[in-house]
Amino acid sequence: MHNHSTRRGTMRTGRRRGRVLTLVTAAAAITFVLSACAPSAPEASTGPVEAGNDTLTIATTTDVVNYNPLIGNSRSDYWVTNLMYPHLLSIADDGKKEPQLATEWGYVDELTGFYEIRDDMTWSDGEPVTAEDVAWTMNAVKKDAPSGTFYGQLANFVSAEAVSDTRVEITLATPDTSIVEEIGFWGNVVPQHVFEKAESVATFANDGSDGGWVSAGPYLLTDVQVGQSYSMDRVDEYPLVEGGTPVAAKVVYRVFPDVNTEILALQSGEVDVIANALPPAQVEQLKATDGITVEEVVGLGYAHMTYNMTNPDLAKTEVRQALAHAVDYDAIRTVVLQGQAVSTGSSPLMPVLSDYYDKSIKEYDFDVDKSRELMESAGYTADASGNFPVSFRLIYSLQDSVTSQWAQLVKDSAAEAGITIELQGTERNTYLAQTNDGDYDIYAGNFAIMDDPVTNFTLSYLPGGAINYTLVDDPELNELIAKAAVTADSDEKISIMRDAAKIVHDEVYDNIMYTQNLYFAHSSEWEGFVTKPSELLSIVNPISVASAHKTAAQ
Amino acid sequence: MTSLDPVNATPTGLPVSSEALSAEPVAESGRAGAATWRVFRRDPLGVISLGLLLLLVVVALAAPLLASYPASYGSDVLKPPSLQYLFGTDSLGRDVLGEVIWGTQQSLLVAVAASIIAIAIGTLVAVIGAYFKRLDVFISVIVDLTLSLPVLPLMILIAALIGPSTTTIIGVVAAFSWPEVTRLVRSQALTVVNLPYVDAARLMTTSPVWIIGRHIIPAVTPVIVVSVVVTASRAVLSAAGLAFLGLGDPTTWSWGRILYEAQQSGAMSSAWWLTLFPSIAILLLVLSATLLSIAYNDARNPRNRAR
Repeated sequence: MHNHSTRRGTMRTGRRRGRVLTLVTAAAAITFVLSACAPSAPEASTGPVEAGNDTLTIATTTDVVNYNPLIGNSRSDYWVTNLMYPHLLSIADDGKKEPQLATEWGYVDELTGFYEIRDDMTWSDGEPVTAEDVAWTMNAVKKDAPSGTFYGQLANFVSAEAVSDTRVEITLATPDTSIVEEIGFWGNVVPQHVFEKAESVATFANDGSDGGWVSAGPYLLTDVQVGQSYSMDRVDEYPLVEGGTPVAAKVVYRVFPDVNTEILALQSGEVDVIANALPPAQVEQLKATDGITVEEVVGLGYAHMTYNMTNPDLAKTEVRQALAHAVDYDAIRTVVLQGQAVSTGSSPLMPVLSDYYDKSIKEYDFDVDKSRELMESAGYTADASGNFPVSFRLIYSLQDSVTSQWAQLVKDSAAEAGITIELQGTERNTYLAQTNDGDYDIYAGNFAIMDDPVTNFTLSYLPGGAINYTLVDDPELNELIAKAAVTADSDEKISIMRDAAKIVHDEVYDNIMYTQNLYFAHSSEWEGFVTKPSELLSIVNPISVASAHKTAAQ
Repeated sequence: MTSLDPVNATPTGLPVSSEALSAEPVAESGRAGAATWRVFRRDPLGVISLGLLLLLVVVALAAPLLASYPASYGSDVLKPPSLQYLFGTDSLGRDVLGEVIWGTQQSLLVAVAASIIAIAIGTLVAVIGAYFKRLDVFISVIVDLTLSLPVLPLMILIAALIGPSTTTIIGVVAAFSWPEVTRLVRSQALTVVNLPYVDAARLMTTSPVWIIGRHIIPAVTPVIVVSVVVTASRAVLSAAGLAFLGLGDPTTWSWGRILYEAQQSGAMSSAWWLTLFPSIAILLLVLSATLLSIAYNDARNPRNRAR
């Protein structure tokens, strides 16, 4: 599945209200967002760049495990298969959806959604990419239920039908105003004539053993050296990139043990791009390094702590508030994240979602005296050394270095307020199992893409929600979320969601700490990258890889 | 036994002359101990090693006096060594000198605790095996089996399953160190149980506990002393290795954790001081422990004393 640093399958797509609302035209859609953060980056040269003979080498830290994009996958899986199997929709920096294979999308009626797709895309074996491929992919995923985000989006999906060569209509079980965009963004389209030979798309390895891969571009996987490299050749016709042909002739993903070796390889010129996000402490140093350009990618998710309300102490609002006031948020953002994160005002409605963001919700102040007062008003008495008779176990993943670092800060500042926090950092799989079992007092982690408030609130705060790590069940909040889900009027929905966010904030049902902006490094010999939110897309999304080219001086 | 084993330097495993036999297994009496010390003092490497080890122990015990416990963060991030920060700072602005000093405590604790457990189990199993010949076959098989296991992957597996903590590290390291001790001690004990004075002891009592405790264990003490040092240094290496792989205690400072955090924060390529200083500390401990055991071994060898 789509792993960010800690969580999976929780990135959500935007929401489409009511019927056909905005039909975004293809021409206006793909915007080239070149980061302003790179000190040495020259402006991209004007005019289309001609396809050249260069090889773009990209560093990654993991091997490709699944070549089948429909199965839950890791980052390398996602990056490599994303260059072969198109998505219907892409995403903008503010979470809004943009056309990719689909040019228009929306609803015919409450129970019918539609996509209009491009008619100029072909698979690398010459077959055209048609609405049949799209409909077949969706139906096959629904039938075979491969584990992954794509299938997770299909809860209200009944079936898809290609009503023409370029139009797909989907039938829904109940009205669902976000499903068209969710499927469009998370689902890949695979070639029916290749995948239908398999018994089930959930078990199909698609490892190229049957005469290689079939790609709709921009690149086609041609050679795999497990543990070392994945070589991909350009597909000649790729209409989504300016000029119609990917610029670099080859793309090679090389596998490195960790980010340290990736940085060394970039510095020595062995690779041109590091696909993984840079650790915060390395950003300034690499920005100052000659020959390396650092691109900023906006964050569309957040890091947070949740307090397990099945713990009798944490069920008390004052205790949760006391914990929330015993965290030095500024220090975490300045030191651990080196200033590369923004406060969300302790609200799940992040500033990046400008329509929803509510300035009147303020971040919890770091005030240990206030924490002590709250603990006392909750009925706890501090002992002679100033400690309250409580101890909470905070879990986090050791593979997530940023969270591992701030967990220590959280513990230290809580100790100042007389609250004992016991840190339990574990290996990622143990952490995921503990999370699923509710085996923690405090959970610390983060989500990569949280762009649709209604979907996020449904999953995070409704009883039984997949990421309801607070295990909260507040009737008032439940009602607001349910109401927002069926509200078509945009202003009204925003107002309801702000009320819901205020409850989450005031009752500390979730402690949202920051949105982290990510930084990616590439060689200054290359330019023309197109940034997209999150580590999944960043500067290695298909359009970006296909557009990258050597700088004019080269 | 590997050629690195300092005990190899003794004639224990070889066909030995009766003269050597009678001299060797006798427990170090006051006179023998003094003789060993006289020879040891003349070996500069041994004395320096002993000094270094003592220094590390002092650093560990006096950690609170030498440096304040590394704070959760500081404002000077990734600063190279300077007068203000002798060992530089890490990616959270913490003083690496403080981390190394407090890490000494943890590393020595793991070394001592793990080797004590390993020595206790290893010695007991060895002398029981040597004394009760019927059990010896069984014990030898167990020891050989354990020694042939792929230790590192198993340690990683167990540490990952149980979850990282100091206790886990000590337990895991001890669990895989005792067979080596058993093998060393057993070879010595086998010689001892056949000596006339042990036969004489059998005439005086039927209690094997008394014979083992009173006669056999004292006779193998020199080997145990050597194993303590070797096992301890090996424990430090294993603990640092596990910590570097993220299986150490993430809440206590150890040398391995400094390396692990440097790797995690991606600072290894630029901040050399993050890896250099804890590595030097590990090197010092392991090297001095090994040299010390060699020097001690040489010193208590009567042939060397004669010189």
